[in-house]
This record gives sequence, C-alpha cells and structure tokens, in this order.
Amino acid sequence: MNGLTAALLVWTLISPSGGGHGGRGEIWPTHVACRNEGLEVFYQSCDPLQDFGFSVDQCSKKLQPHLSIRFGIILREDIRELFLDVLLLTKGASVLNFSYPICEDDLPKFSFCGRRKGDLTQEASFKPSQMNCSLPLLPEHRVLFLPQTLSQLEVYLSGHVEQ
Amino acid sequence: MASLVICFFLVVLFSACHEVSTSSDQLCIEKEANKTYNCENLGLSEIPDTLPNTTEFLEFSFNFLPTIQNTTFSRLIDLTFLDLTRCQINWIHDDTFQSHHQLSTLILTGNPLIFMAETAFNGPKSLKHLFLIQTGISSLEFIPPHNLENLESLHLGSNHISSIKLPNDFPAGNLKVLDFQNNAIHYLSREDMNSLKQATNLSLNFNSNDIKGIEPGAFSSQFFQSLNFGGTRDLSVIFSGLRNSTIQSLWLGTFEDIDNQYLSSATFQGLCDTSVESINLQKHHFSDFSSTTFRCFAQLQNLDLTATHLQELPSGIEGMNSLKKLVLNVNKFDQLCQINAANFPSLTHLYVKGNMKKLHLGTGCLEKLENLQKLDLSHSGIEASDCCNLQLKNLPHLQSLNLSYNELIGFQREAFQACPQLEILDLSFTHLHASAPQSPFQNLHHLKILNLSHSFLDTSNQLLLAGLPDLRHLNLQGNRFQDGSIPKNNLLQTVGSLEILVLSSSDLLSIDKQAFHGLDKMSHVDLSHNNLTSNSIDALSHLKGIYLNLAANAIGIISPHLLSILSQQSTINLSHNPLDCTCSNIHFLTWYKENLQKLEDLEETVCANPPSLKGVQLSDVRLSCGITPVGILFLTVFFLLVSILLIFAIKFFLRWKYQHI
Repeated sequence: MNGLTAALLVWTLISPSGGGHGGRGEIWPTHVACRNEGLEVFYQSCDPLQDFGFSVDQCSKKLQPHLSIRFGIILREDIRELFLDVLLLTKGASVLNFSYPICEDDLPKFSFCGRRKGDLTQEASFKPSQMNCSLPLLPEHRVLFLPQTLSQLEVYLSGHVEQ
Repeated sequence: MASLVICFFLVVLFSACHEVSTSSDQLCIEKEANKTYNCENLGLSEIPDTLPNTTEFLEFSFNFLPTIQNTTFSRLIDLTFLDLTRCQINWIHDDTFQSHHQLSTLILTGNPLIFMAETAFNGPKSLKHLFLIQTGISSLEFIPPHNLENLESLHLGSNHISSIKLPNDFPAGNLKVLDFQNNAIHYLSREDMNSLKQATNLSLNFNSNDIKGIEPGAFSSQFFQSLNFGGTRDLSVIFSGLRNSTIQSLWLGTFEDIDNQYLSSATFQGLCDTSVESINLQKHHFSDFSSTTFRCFAQLQNLDLTATHLQELPSGIEGMNSLKKLVLNVNKFDQLCQINAANFPSLTHLYVKGNMKKLHLGTGCLEKLENLQKLDLSHSGIEASDCCNLQLKNLPHLQSLNLSYNELIGFQREAFQACPQLEILDLSFTHLHASAPQSPFQNLHHLKILNLSHSFLDTSNQLLLAGLPDLRHLNLQGNRFQDGSIPKNNLLQTVGSLEILVLSSSDLLSIDKQAFHGLDKMSHVDLSHNNLTSNSIDALSHLKGIYLNLAANAIGIISPHLLSILSQQSTINLSHNPLDCTCSNIHFLTWYKENLQKLEDLEETVCANPPSLKGVQLSDVRLSCGITPVGILFLTVFFLLVSILLIFAIKFFLRWKYQHI
C-alpha cells in the first residue's frame, strides 16, 4: 500500500432549522482543504443555506496531535452550545462515529463560544481564527481504536446547536 | 335493471370516501397564530402581505433590506420582537420605528451599517434589548442615544470598539448587560468606567479583548453583577485593576486557541483587596500550586477550576474556609482523595465531572464534607464493585448524587446508607450490578428522583426498588425486560408513590393488564419507542388525567373498549405509529377527531394503512364507513322494489295455484 492516495473530507454544518425551508437545490463547490504530495483533502458544504471556508495548515500523512485550521463561516444559530458529530467511513463502511462538545455552558473550549447568530468567524477581522484540534479528543479512559491504514477515507462532520 | 341498482347501492354502501385537505403553501412559517412568524432565509426585500397586522414576534433574519425607513414596518404596529440579523442593512433612516410603541427587542446583528439617523430608535415606549453585534461600529458615538432610557441590554460584540466610554448624553440608568466581547479594547481608564456609574448591578463582558492595562482605581467602590475577562493573557493586570470593587461573578477563564499562561500565587495578589463571590479560572495552568496560592480567596464562595490540568490539590490550603461550591471538572485526578476535601469544610456543592483519567473513589475521601448537598461524579470512568457506603462515608446532608456515564458500579443491599437524605440519584448510562434479591436503594426515605436509564438493570429482581416510600420520578429508559413484557408482578409494585414513569426504548412488546396496579398517583407515563400494540393500553385503565406518550410503537388498530381509557387522560401522543386508517379502525378515527385538543404531535401522527392514505395526517382523513343519506335513500328504494316484487310474486303464485278452482 502506498499509504494514503486520496482523502475526501466532507463537512456538513447543518443547523437545526437548516433543513427546514432552505434547500434551493444549490450544490456548493468542492474546495481543497489542503494538498500535499500523496494527500489531498477536499470538502463540500452540505448545508443548503450556505458554503463555508476551511483549510488545514499542514497536510501530512502523519497527523500531529495538534493541528491548526482556518475556518470562516456566518453563524446561523447562537453557539453558546455547539456540538460536533463525526462519522468516519472507509470503503463505504463506518469505522468511527462520535460526538464531541465544542462549546458548553460550563466549558466553552474556544474563544468563539458564545457568539450569536449572524456574527461570523473570519480570519480578516478576527485575530486567531485558528483552533487547536486536540486528537485524541476523548478522556484517557475512553480508548479510541483507529484503523491502521486508511485509504479512501471519508469523514462526515456535522455540527449541531442546542438551545 | 335490478342488478344494476343493487350494484350501485352496494357501491354507495361500502365505498369509503376520504378527502384530504392540504394547507396552502405559506411564505413565512406561522409559529403562533397571528402573533409569531418566522421568515428567515427567504431573500425577501419587503414585509410580505401575508403577515397579519397583529404580528408581535417577527424573525426576519437573512433577508434583503438595504434601506429601512418609516414605511418598511409601518403596517406591523404591534411588533415587540424584531430580528433583522444579516439583512444587508446599510441605512436606518429617521423614524424607522416611529409607530412601534411596543417594540422591546431589536436585533441588527451582522448588518454593514453606514448610517443610523438621530431619530432611528424613536417610537418604542420601552426599547429594552438592542443587538448591534458585528455592525462595523468603531465608536459608541455612532449609536443615536435618543429614546434609549429604558435599555437593559446592549450587545456590541465583534466590532472595532477600542474604548468603552459611553457618550455624555448616553442614558445608562437601566442598563444591566453591556456586552463588548471580541472587540479591540486593551485599556480601561477611570474616565471610561465613570461613564457607567449610572448603571447599577451591571454585567460587563470583555471576553476576547485581551485587556493589557487598567488605570488604578478604575473599578474602585463599584458593584458589578458579573465581569467577564475571558481570554485575557495577563490576569495580574485584571486583579490589580479590580482593587476595592465588589463583584458577584468574575469569569477569567481562557481557551484552547489562546496561548498557555501560567498562574502563580503572585497573580492573585490584587484579589486580597477585592470582594468577589465567584471566580472561574477554566483552562489555565498553575505554575506553582501551593497551599498559599488561594490565600486571597478568603471571601470566595464559588470556585471553578474546570480543565486546569490539576492532578491534585495540596493539603492545608489556607483561606478556603467559606467556599461553598467547587468545580473540578475535566482534570486529571487518579484518586478522589487527591482533591484533599478537608481544605473546604463548608462545601455544599462539589463537581468532579469528566475526569480525564479513570477516577478511583477510594474510602471516605469526602468524609470531612459534612455540609455537602450536591455531588457530581459523572463521566469519570468510575468503577466500583461494592458501592457506595465506604466511598461516600459521612455525607449526612447529601441531597443530589450524579454517578451517570461511568463504567461499572456494583451494589449490595442498602448501598446508600451513608447518605440517607438523598433526594436525587442519577445512575444513567452506568453499568449497574445488583445481584437479586438485593434492594440497593433500601431506606432512602427522601429519594424523589431516580434515573436508571440505560443501566443494564436486572429488571426481573422484584425487590430492586424496594424501600423508596417517596419516589416520584423513575426513569427506566433503555432497560430490557424478560421476553419484552412487563408481567403482573414486577419491580414497580414497591414504588406506589410514583408520579412520573419513563419506560421508553425498552424493547417492550406487551404490558400486563395488572402491571401498573398500585401505581395510582401516576401523572406522566412515557412508553414511547417500544413495540407495544394497543392491547397494552389496558394497563392504564385505572389512571385518569395523565400525560401518556405512546409515540413510535406498533399501534395499528385501537378497539372501541380502549377508547374510554384514552378519553380519561389529559394528553396523549400517538405519533410515529403504524396507524390503520381503514373502516376497521373507524371508532378510533372518529374519537381522534373529537379529541384533537388532547393529542400531541398531530403532524407526525399519520396513517400507515391503506397504501392510498400512507403518510396522511390522521386529522385530515375523512372516512365514511356507515350508511350515508344517499345510501339510506337507495336502501329504501331497494326494499320498496323487493317488497313490490314479492307482492307481485305472491299474487302470481296464488293466482297460478288457485286458477283451477
């Protein structure tokens, strides 16, 4: 195996009301989150209401424990509470499925927690639109098994907001 | 001829005619008739004519209104809440809200404002909440101060504001919340703070501003409800700047995307001269955690040290005698004893949630906390084979215990003798082991709420819930019963005081008619997400006026004798069931329409059968299975014809028989 040949990263940020009355039948373009020899990461917004911007500073087959990303989006909901759902697929089969809190009332992990609907996170006007995604995300007593070789990996990410 | 008539008659008699009414498509979503409307994301450039004049709450975000003026909303004079988030508003002209006397909340977040007229906010008699987040404001002078006397909250986050000094004519008398998060405020002067002096009980938010300096005395002799300096890099600046002030709640946490800073005893020096009730220091690192670190926290009542990388707290900490509430969530303790609970003798609330390591409860680690009322040990990987009398030794006043989302907890009988005052016990999503016929909760005379959802209970143990005379609320969601059925004799029979019972997602196929006997006080029964058929409704025959959730079961036909049981309840949810909409269920369908006010989730209560009605809401089905007036007419004509034929036949027969006489 020549390691990773291509990877498809699909981000979905569907707000609770998102599916409600949006759906203008538009399909957002596929963007490149990062590209290196041997690894390419693409993403496409599955939120019918809007696209978003995302890039990763490093594109190596060996993921560092902390990687920096850039992220720009208009918020469609208040994010006092924000949760991330991750579904990892390889060759069409699900290998990992978990949910992770980004912002909670008693633990706002990032400085953007608590921003309101209509506000945006954008690199130009906000200093660090950079966040450290710590992997593994789970406490030590929750063991996380990851497959050794991930070829044709698809990651579905979706966010949800609780009010 | 006669056969044709009969055929026609039969068709009339047995055909089930149904009409399906569909509501016409509406542009905006009606949330409450004539009052609340949601018109988000519709790209509208004006208020649609379909909105009634009586609209009070209008969500109009993500539309297109480059200019708003006095004609824009003039028709909707009853507006109290108006959300104009991201409507690409550039201009707010004079007297835009002139006729909106009731308007109390105005949201203008995310609009690229170029200009707001001097009289932009004139009109409302009591404008209380104004949102100007991310509107490009760089100076508070931009906000027209007229008619803002009643303002209680002003949200100015994500702008380019560098000074919080309110203009001289700005009325701040009623301000309670002033939110400056994510601006460019780096210095707070005495003059800045003096401009807020009119406001009492103020909550000020400087989150993500990185304050680099505070003029000495700027906050002195002022009282604040809450101050938030989240993400500030040098906390000693804050502590010395707050000298001589009184603060109810001080939020000084940091975040994952802010560089690490190390707090030392010296950082907190300024706190000795400040009166603070609660402090949050989440996600900070402590460089030298010693017994003197908190020596200036003497008056503190609440301390939040969530995710502060703690492995232990030193013993003999000074100055924590009056602490009431301590939050130690998301840290790295091995043993509960490492928090050295004896440091905090007055503690009433203790949270050790989401510990990053497997937490060992040890023996008597909290025994010095005689006043403890609430203990949260959830999400901490706890495993204990014989819980909890030794682990929770001497907690005579404990009222609320949360052990949910842990690994495995084994119980013997009377497992909570150490905390006899328990009122709330949460054991959800923790694998419980109590070997039959043990009664682990025996003698919890005050227990009112018990959550045992998804805890792999042995439900065949009929004594499991024995000894709970005051239990009102029991959650057994996600536990299996033998053969998917609740028999006549079951574990619920010992809890006669129950008011709320949750048995959802328990793979139930049936409930015995007598299963809930003795549970006469129940007012809320949740049986959703099982595989129950209508026969199980029989088990509720002795209950009246309850909330009954039967959503997502296998109910198809509900026979007439069960309808009286449903009629005596106050609210019923039958959504997501494979309901039958043929004439064999006509009694229920008629009952359904007569009792719409009792039913919940009507939109999701749809037919599964016959195929032609699949997905149609039950309330929209018009089924006629009886004899219609046309049917009666045909029936009469038919019988008339038959009798005439019969008379003629008899006449002919008699004539033929007696013709030779």
